Amino acid sequence: MSLRDKYCIVGVGETEYSRGSGRSTRAMAVEAVRKAILDAGLKASDVDGMLDYQGGDSTLAPHVAPDLGIRLNFYMDVMGGGSSTEALVGLAMGAIEAGMCKTVAIYRSMNGYSEFRIGGTGARAAQPVRGLDLAQVPFGMRSAGQNFALTFMRHMYDYGTTSEQVAHVKVAHSKHASQNPKALLKDRVTVQDVVNSRWIVKPLHLLDCCLETDNATCIIVTSAERARDLRQRPVHIMGVVGRVSKPRLDFHWAHGPISRVAGYYAKDLIFPQAGITPEDVDVTGSYDAFTFTTMLQLEEYGFCKKGEGGAYVSSGIIELGGKRPNNTSGGHLCEGYTHGMSMVIENVRQLRGTVDDYCPKGSEGVHTHDYTPGRCRQVKDATISMNLGWAMPPLGSALIMRRS
Amino acid sequence: MPQPVTYRGMSLVIPDNDSEWNEYFALARRHTLMVRACTACGLMRYPPTHACPWCMDLGWKWQEVSGKGTIHSYEIVMHAIQPGFREITPYAVVLVELDEQAGQPTPDEALRIVANLVKPDFTPEAEAKVAIGARVRVAFQDLSDEFALPQFTLTDEAPVGRVWRLGG
Repeated sequence: MSLRDKYCIVGVGETEYSRGSGRSTRAMAVEAVRKAILDAGLKASDVDGMLDYQGGDSTLAPHVAPDLGIRLNFYMDVMGGGSSTEALVGLAMGAIEAGMCKTVAIYRSMNGYSEFRIGGTGARAAQPVRGLDLAQVPFGMRSAGQNFALTFMRHMYDYGTTSEQVAHVKVAHSKHASQNPKALLKDRVTVQDVVNSRWIVKPLHLLDCCLETDNATCIIVTSAERARDLRQRPVHIMGVVGRVSKPRLDFHWAHGPISRVAGYYAKDLIFPQAGITPEDVDVTGSYDAFTFTTMLQLEEYGFCKKGEGGAYVSSGIIELGGKRPNNTSGGHLCEGYTHGMSMVIENVRQLRGTVDDYCPKGSEGVHTHDYTPGRCRQVKDATISMNLGWAMPPLGSALIMRRS
Repeated sequence: MPQPVTYRGMSLVIPDNDSEWNEYFALARRHTLMVRACTACGLMRYPPTHACPWCMDLGWKWQEVSGKGTIHSYEIVMHAIQPGFREITPYAVVLVELDEQAGQPTPDEALRIVANLVKPDFTPEAEAKVAIGARVRVAFQDLSDEFALPQFTLTDEAPVGRVWRLGG
């Protein structure tokens, strides 16, 4: 039974991206959910489902929904970070399909810079080491970069991928961020800027790494039938997969090739669901926790041959004006870090044709497609988008959407 | 075992009911590298787990391995996250593929262990000597009377396959 096109994302909302929100994750979540409800043209009483994800660093649905006068028929607070966005879209569809509720708000709220630092410094670094962490943390392998670098280095060994090639991911995303009033880092950078920035954990330079950010984000899922009457042009969900894993998720290095990522398995589920191939996709949102993560996923999902990701991301294809731009908001490298939510929000706006760039009437759908700095970031005739969500090398999610 | 073990500012905690790790680090303190082996199909696994990932049997026994292997991948930490590592930064984290059971039961699988590449005095090995393909052997870093970390040091054996290092 296919659910293709039966569900839509009808509302999106986010707070400011900052490095010091000065307020609680509850306050930010309430703002983001409210904005998404208003964006959709819904009322609080229309929302009866809520999903959120967090890692002990946020406010849960039972404390967010009542603030807005929402009475829930279904909610779930999920443990997790990256790759949760797409997975929760699928869960929302399932909950509605099962008759548990009708409209679901999905949010993520985090003070990822000022409170629980995503990079692992501060309170996170001081936590006792127990359980499976004993296999790596005592060896000074604690942060996301330290966790993933073995995979990135092995990819360089296996395929000859270079630092300069993957630096193009940051270059492209910085170009996109220069068109985004919300972005934390709006300055365009060069390949030389990236490879000359200081080392963090080789092979990652500082500019290969994403930002730490305070923000909340929200997307609203409902049936295509309900979406028809709402304020925005509906964006249809063609296919979704959530938290697809490589074998041995507990210690994924046991099952190689370690330069392979979860998209290897996910692609065989999602493309048949959507009934398309990578060639049909106009814009991608490949999770850029690091430059390498974008590259690895694009190649694993088949946007180029396995091993040719370095050549693909440095070809200009992923830049605005290229054949298939990636992370047109600037992504986690430049706009701000949201554990994946902002990349889905951006693609929803791309498919609506209402990206919030510097075009005076951009939010009304009037765009110049002038990609010089400080102007437009709307992709012309964006019809199908694909999000490639990342949690770690062996764990990912994906979402294919189309405009109506 | 007496808890916790303190190392580089970290508390390493192994509760008495932690049936995964309790014996592993104590066996390492006796300077033996032991992994769990399935008593049904014989395949070894790491980290310690409670069922065989290939045949699902619950039976297992500790089995000693030689501690010799090859660097499968590595990273050089230039900016320490944990405060206790700042004084030894830069340091190498290596993924060591042990000689036993490499490429079994499928070509992509192996017994692989994360550790630091260290000199015999357990200070970090020089970055210029770290490479994929380099041969290594286990060295036990004693942290208490009942706990040791299995680390790895370079050997003078010929490397395996293509030798590669970043920028090399």
